[in-house]
Amino acid sequence: MEKSTVKFRSVFISRYGTRCSCLVCVLLLLSTQLKAQQDTSKKLKEVSVTSSTIPKVQTIVPVQQISSTDFAHYAAFSVADIAANFAGVNVKDYGGIGGLKTVSVRSMGANHTGVQYDGVILNDAQNGQIDLGKFSLYNVQSITLYNGQAPNIVQPARSFASASILDIKTTRPQLSVAKPYLISIGGNGGSFGLINPYLQWQQRVSKQWSFVLNANYTYANGQYKYKVNGDGSDTLATRKNSDIKALQTDGALYWAKSDSNKFKVQFNYYNSDRGLPGPVIYYTTQSSQRLQNHDLLVQSAYEYIAKSSFHLLLNSKYSQNYLHYFDPSLPDATVGSNEHYMQHEFYQSGSVGYHLLHNWEVSYSSDAALTNLFSDVYTNSYQYAFPTRLSLFNAIATDLIFNKWHFQGNLLNTYITDHVKNGTAAASKYAFTPSISASYQPFQNSGLQFRAFYKDIFRNPTFSEQYYYAIRPRNLKPEHTKQYDLGVTYQKNFNGFVRDLAITADAYYNNVHNKIIYLPSRSPETPSVTNLGSVDIKGLDVTLKTDVIPTAGWLGTISANYTYQSAINVTNPDDSYYLDQIPYTPKNLLSLNAGINYKAVGLYYNSTFSSSRYFENNNVAEYYLPSYNVSNASLIYKFLVNKLPVNASFEVNNLFNERYVVLYSYPMPGRSYRLSFQITI
Amino acid sequence: MKHFKLKNLLFAIIATAVLSSCHKDKNDVTPTTPTAQVAGVYVLNQGGDAGTITYYDYTTKVTTPDIFTTANGKGVGSIPNDLKIYGSKMYIVVDLSKVINVVDPKTAKLIKQISFGDSEPRSIAFYKNNAFVTSYDGTVAVIDTAALTINKRITVGSYPEQLVVSNGKLYVANSGGLTVTKDKTVSIIDLTTLTVTKTINVIINPVAISADNYGHVYVISNGDYNTVLPGISIINNTTDVTTSQTTVDVGYGSPYVVSGDNGYYLSGTGKVVVYNTKTQAITSPNFITDGTTLTAAYGLAANNTTGEVFVTDAKDYQSNGTLYAFDKTGKKEYTITVGINPANIVFINK
Repeated sequence: MEKSTVKFRSVFISRYGTRCSCLVCVLLLLSTQLKAQQDTSKKLKEVSVTSSTIPKVQTIVPVQQISSTDFAHYAAFSVADIAANFAGVNVKDYGGIGGLKTVSVRSMGANHTGVQYDGVILNDAQNGQIDLGKFSLYNVQSITLYNGQAPNIVQPARSFASASILDIKTTRPQLSVAKPYLISIGGNGGSFGLINPYLQWQQRVSKQWSFVLNANYTYANGQYKYKVNGDGSDTLATRKNSDIKALQTDGALYWAKSDSNKFKVQFNYYNSDRGLPGPVIYYTTQSSQRLQNHDLLVQSAYEYIAKSSFHLLLNSKYSQNYLHYFDPSLPDATVGSNEHYMQHEFYQSGSVGYHLLHNWEVSYSSDAALTNLFSDVYTNSYQYAFPTRLSLFNAIATDLIFNKWHFQGNLLNTYITDHVKNGTAAASKYAFTPSISASYQPFQNSGLQFRAFYKDIFRNPTFSEQYYYAIRPRNLKPEHTKQYDLGVTYQKNFNGFVRDLAITADAYYNNVHNKIIYLPSRSPETPSVTNLGSVDIKGLDVTLKTDVIPTAGWLGTISANYTYQSAINVTNPDDSYYLDQIPYTPKNLLSLNAGINYKAVGLYYNSTFSSSRYFENNNVAEYYLPSYNVSNASLIYKFLVNKLPVNASFEVNNLFNERYVVLYSYPMPGRSYRLSFQITI
Repeated sequence: MKHFKLKNLLFAIIATAVLSSCHKDKNDVTPTTPTAQVAGVYVLNQGGDAGTITYYDYTTKVTTPDIFTTANGKGVGSIPNDLKIYGSKMYIVVDLSKVINVVDPKTAKLIKQISFGDSEPRSIAFYKNNAFVTSYDGTVAVIDTAALTINKRITVGSYPEQLVVSNGKLYVANSGGLTVTKDKTVSIIDLTTLTVTKTINVIINPVAISADNYGHVYVISNGDYNTVLPGISIINNTTDVTTSQTTVDVGYGSPYVVSGDNGYYLSGTGKVVVYNTKTQAITSPNFITDGTTLTAAYGLAANNTTGEVFVTDAKDYQSNGTLYAFDKTGKKEYTITVGINPANIVFINK
């Protein structure tokens, strides 16, 4: 029975693991890229916007993108707040400024979402999930979600190795000789005792060299009122031990001889100290657990495209992630009360592409990653494994455009081998996994397109799953996903009231098997982590975006995303939850963003609806979580002070003060306010 | 038009009939009353994220999956760990919520919630007008069963788990719980002076404890999860000396239940081992005779009058479990769907 407590604590730790910070790579993926790279001052001049703000949706796999010019429309604070608006995305949010926020795409689980920083995968070898709440939006140019993978075949091999990719692209200087620098100073603050100043300095050094430096600091006491459901109290409680102090600095040095011959080196350093408020436990006071992170990442990318169409892309990365988890309420000798972790990753990737014909490109990518993890986790009978993992990824890919058809295909080979200091290393893994996609445009210029893709990929067990308190060796297989998608897209520009319109609808079937499950068993002989579970997911993602011009000078934007998902457990017909919807998976999700802009003023409304869910495997009343609908609003005003452009905005999150939880016993904040301000020199 | 509507209605009736017949009846229970005087059974579910108490009424044949919430409009708390009826009260010991919910066993209505402050209460035992509750802060709290207040805390070993009254003394299993170095002692408390009179060694990491009518106190230890395997120590309640420490096939965290002249515990593979407390010998390696196998045997109870044995199956430890009732010959009588990690089974008489 003591195991229940052990379970509770270890699960808790794994929920709050380390993760890398960020950076690099130079892949220009979409034609919308140039659009996205306009800086704020340029944007200001074209306030009467006539061009489309809608990214291209007619892609071979579903691609959804939100760029920096639109971030303010969502009253968003972190990358997680933006990602929550994509169709098919289910955010797990532990609530508050410092709460862990991860995204699961199409019900496959957050560990299957590859998060890229400038085209290179961020790897958290310990927990396999990237906390998107850690990433501020100041240095971000665009956030893009790819189902399957980015439709660009010259990319690192590891970018083929996730079920879906969330790419965070950082701001890149676009400066001229006349105005060789751009400095933005700003900040925001408001509810939760939030103070969040930032600075961005972009500088053109010469024709070929430029750099950008960013720094932002977050301080918040994180406290907010919430209603405890189910403990019989009728007053509001205050979420405590939710303070956070975080400093993020990053920068990049760019060299570009031309668009087809360029290099950059980047760094990102993130340092934070936060309280973990923990789950709400009835009838007792809250947690005193602390978490500290120090993450460093240095990354470089070189890209060369020859006239002959030979395309070379080299990426290198070093990252280190330090994590300290501490629970001062427990005696010193208590297992799991004070743990330190340090991960290192050395990563090198090389990709080459070549156009065999003008419409036929082939590529080969090869990546190697060496990752290790140090920890002071031990007991008298258990020593931590100190694992080192070598991962090799090799991918061949092809891209063929033929009349109205577009085909892509790739084959990825993965080899993963672990070495441990104590205990038994996991067996080496070796696998080939394919992905194919096609699109078809039946009529010229009709704006109509059909597409389909299939992808087979797996994720390897994380260091936590494989080694954390593995008193007996765990014989784990990778968790496997298969995705089938069939979609239709329509995109058209008009001259009337409706400026442009983009609609996509994708139906999909996914299967996850050998799901890695934590079993809080009593016995150390029973593996506490095991491959047990199979999930069938049938879903539909529908997106709609349109710009309307009701009358000259006004611009209305509407974006709506709807997701239907039946994600049922098909592990074993004898299970009491066989064919039940998996935990924390709403059947219906709807996000809506609408706004109106007139000259210097914009008013935007954003709402997210999630239908009811269950927080345990059994779909019974005891484990029911009700639906919620959360709305945000933002008012944006742009003006000049001494000829310097200033952006000011007032944002309200949870406008209607909805009392809700995303995760059981992690209450979300009620209505909150934020005022932000930015001056550009 | 009328005809059309009728057809629709007909279709709807057929569809409903088909759908409802397809619907898997997850509560496939039609148990008969085990003995005339038993009104119902409470099962404490430690839960995944939320603990619950399931109640099955033998008269109405209705299962209430979360009777505490149904009766009180609020939840029982996080990780309930022990459930016992004493006198006219039922005590629910809730570890993470750090409370004991004292309820009326007939209605499950809360009489009083006793807060344990910063310590996590674990298990409860009774003697005369006092309840004794172990806490992870290394104490046994003494609670007046009339006033329902904590009057004293007696310091024992590290992370005490279960405790039992035998021969006017209280025996407390000190597990060492979450510490790096486990404890391996039993503290013996004199119930007159309420002080620890002796601390004796048993197999490392003792958790479950029980006593018979022949002067034996049985202690199940989990071992050190490494070289020392789980086993049972037996203490003589007159001399307070450990007379035997044997590695046996006992499941981690298994309860030890004494009913009449039989002791019952769970083997590593979930069999119900029967031990004769009079002859001090195993009489059956598995009480279950009809071939029923449990995925993860978890909680255990026995009825001395009927000879029935009750075992819960925690299955995969993260979905609703099942309570199995076996008759005195070890044949399955019925099952009841219970909650997640069903650990304790308590019967309430009419």
